[in-house]
Amino acid sequence: MKKFFAVLKREYLTRVKTKGFIFGLIMTPLFMLAIFMIPILVSFMRADDQRKFAVIDLSDRVYEKLNNALAETNEKGQRLFAFERVTTHSAEERKRLLAEIEAEKLDGLLIIPEKILADNKMEYYARNVSNFQQNRDLRNAVTAIIQEMRIVAHGLSAQFAQDFARRVDFETYRVDADGKEKKDAGASYLLTYGLVMFLYICMLSYGASITQAVLEEKTSRVVELIISSVRPFQLMLGKILGVGGVGLTQFIIWSLLAGLISAYAGTIASWFNSTNAPALPVISPMVLIYFVLYFVLGYFLYATMYAAVGAIVNSSEEAQALQFPVTMILVVPILLVNFVINNPNANSSVMMSFVPFFLPILMFARVATDMPSTGELLLSLAVMLLAIYLMIMVVGKIFRVGILMYGKRPTLPEVLRWVRY
Amino acid sequence: MTALKLNHVNKAFGSLQAVKDLSLEVEEGAIHGLLGPNGAGKTTTIRMILQIIIQDSGAIDLFGKPMTTAMLDHIGYLPEERGLYRKMKVSEELQFLGELKGLSAREAKKKSLDWLERFDMTGVMAKKVEELSKGNQQKIQFIATIMHQPRLMILDEPFSGLDPLNAELMKNTIIEMRDAGCCIIFSTHLMEQAERLCSAICVINQGRCVLQGELAQVKKSFRKQNVLLAFEGGNGFLQELDFIESVNDCGHYLEVRLNDMEKTQELAQRVLQKARLKRFEVVEPSLHEIFIETVKKQN
Repeated sequence: MKKFFAVLKREYLTRVKTKGFIFGLIMTPLFMLAIFMIPILVSFMRADDQRKFAVIDLSDRVYEKLNNALAETNEKGQRLFAFERVTTHSAEERKRLLAEIEAEKLDGLLIIPEKILADNKMEYYARNVSNFQQNRDLRNAVTAIIQEMRIVAHGLSAQFAQDFARRVDFETYRVDADGKEKKDAGASYLLTYGLVMFLYICMLSYGASITQAVLEEKTSRVVELIISSVRPFQLMLGKILGVGGVGLTQFIIWSLLAGLISAYAGTIASWFNSTNAPALPVISPMVLIYFVLYFVLGYFLYATMYAAVGAIVNSSEEAQALQFPVTMILVVPILLVNFVINNPNANSSVMMSFVPFFLPILMFARVATDMPSTGELLLSLAVMLLAIYLMIMVVGKIFRVGILMYGKRPTLPEVLRWVRY
Repeated sequence: MTALKLNHVNKAFGSLQAVKDLSLEVEEGAIHGLLGPNGAGKTTTIRMILQIIIQDSGAIDLFGKPMTTAMLDHIGYLPEERGLYRKMKVSEELQFLGELKGLSAREAKKKSLDWLERFDMTGVMAKKVEELSKGNQQKIQFIATIMHQPRLMILDEPFSGLDPLNAELMKNTIIEMRDAGCCIIFSTHLMEQAERLCSAICVINQGRCVLQGELAQVKKSFRKQNVLLAFEGGNGFLQELDFIESVNDCGHYLEVRLNDMEKTQELAQRVLQKARLKRFEVVEPSLHEIFIETVKKQN
């Protein structure tokens, strides 16, 4: 046991002390912080930004209403859309306006044709025509005006037209297992998807680094010395736990950082004088606990398989080739996860989420969207523990023989023979 | 006292019988040579002693008890394939390897420091292993083998790649360990080294022990047979002597093998009677010859 811990300690400490680990530890939260900050910065930049538009209204009926419709102002009291009506309609005038746009004195030119009601078409000239938000605002405003005019033309009141055009607000609420409901607008899907991807990346990167760790011992031939003191099985488990411990250390530090950041999110937002700080999606502690649980379970299963790869191969090139099938198995649940998040309780989702190789990712996706029953959660735990046990038994045998084999990469039948030794 | 005893040990890998009915006894405070050509089964034997692989049948006893993994702490092993964690610092590496042999972290630290001092290597403590010269890496590996004061040492080609000064340093340390009662198994291809260091040998070929015993005894049993002989005149008379086993014409001299060492005097007299003697030398065969002869005979 003592030696097993010595292996574990070495594996853990040599990793934690590397520059790469410290870099990842700092850079990942910074990256996440950046993702959080960007919307604030963007809203901050947009608030100050007034755009000037020239309007040539040939119909003579739209300009006033458009000017009234888009009357939003920014914090300085400036209108976001500043319209200027152009009354001369000559071709030269149009040329002059386009030149102004080019010279950045003007942001856009709207031309509303005389028969807009019949043509249902207007023209918009700008340097940047791919600002969807702004295009949509302009189009919606003009559409509403035209719709109103059409309704009035049919002899109905303008009031009716406004009533008619009102959209229904679609508010989404998520119902939790504990019966509480929360307002939710798509953020929950993104958050779940993000967490699942993060789980996948963690399992992949930590699992795959086991292959390298085993291979390093093989190529440096230190393994011969190590297993004259420690049983190969202890060595394998010590390495897997050591690397897994590094992963857990990262999660703990990141969770603390995330806690700090969300506690002070408002403060950070206020530094930028922004009133509309986006509400941070809150990860419930239960989901975090399941994240760690399924990470640990999934990591064990895959790390064991990656350890077998390291024991079988002799070089990094061979390792990459043999890691590929293992990684493919890990990718399958990622392909299924979209379906499972959208239909967490469909029969096929439930069935797939109990396949041991897919379980950590799919079960976590279900936990994050719609908490499965306690029975299912316990069953998933039992399935994983059994799968890990069987995998460790099989790989333990492969490992024992493989780490002392040099030279030609063994074929699959040879590896299977090792299992039976 | 017998330190290590292998009793009719067998090991097969599939259809390959790697070790066949091997019995071996190694005394405490002795250096026992484990000799044999490549692929003879030496590494398999060593790995069985270290419990890395388990014998199919037969018993391995260490200090009078069946070998178990718990006894690995009493063994120091210097593998032929040298290897250390290249990216680790020397001090940390030695501490780790010491801990693997059951030392506490503190003991391991202290002992590795003692040995580094003795080998005049304290300067490299903070360096990574990969920054060291090959010779220094070998010394680090040797320290890892002896730092926990093993009662049984298994050294596989310990001197390969060492310069004469370092080889001497290592040899003296090995002798010191022997004198302190450590039992040493010395596996090598270099017969001159085995001849210098070993008190007993075991030659393995094709998985079998083909020759074993005290070195002096082994030589004595061979000595019966060799006389180097050169004379002027025909050598036909040698055919008539019934104590001659074979005559090997080596060009400038004849290598005559006798079946009875006591007959050297008689041979000398016979030659003097028949021819003009130029050379008559009773040779002690070198281990090298014994080895080649034994292995060739079996093949």
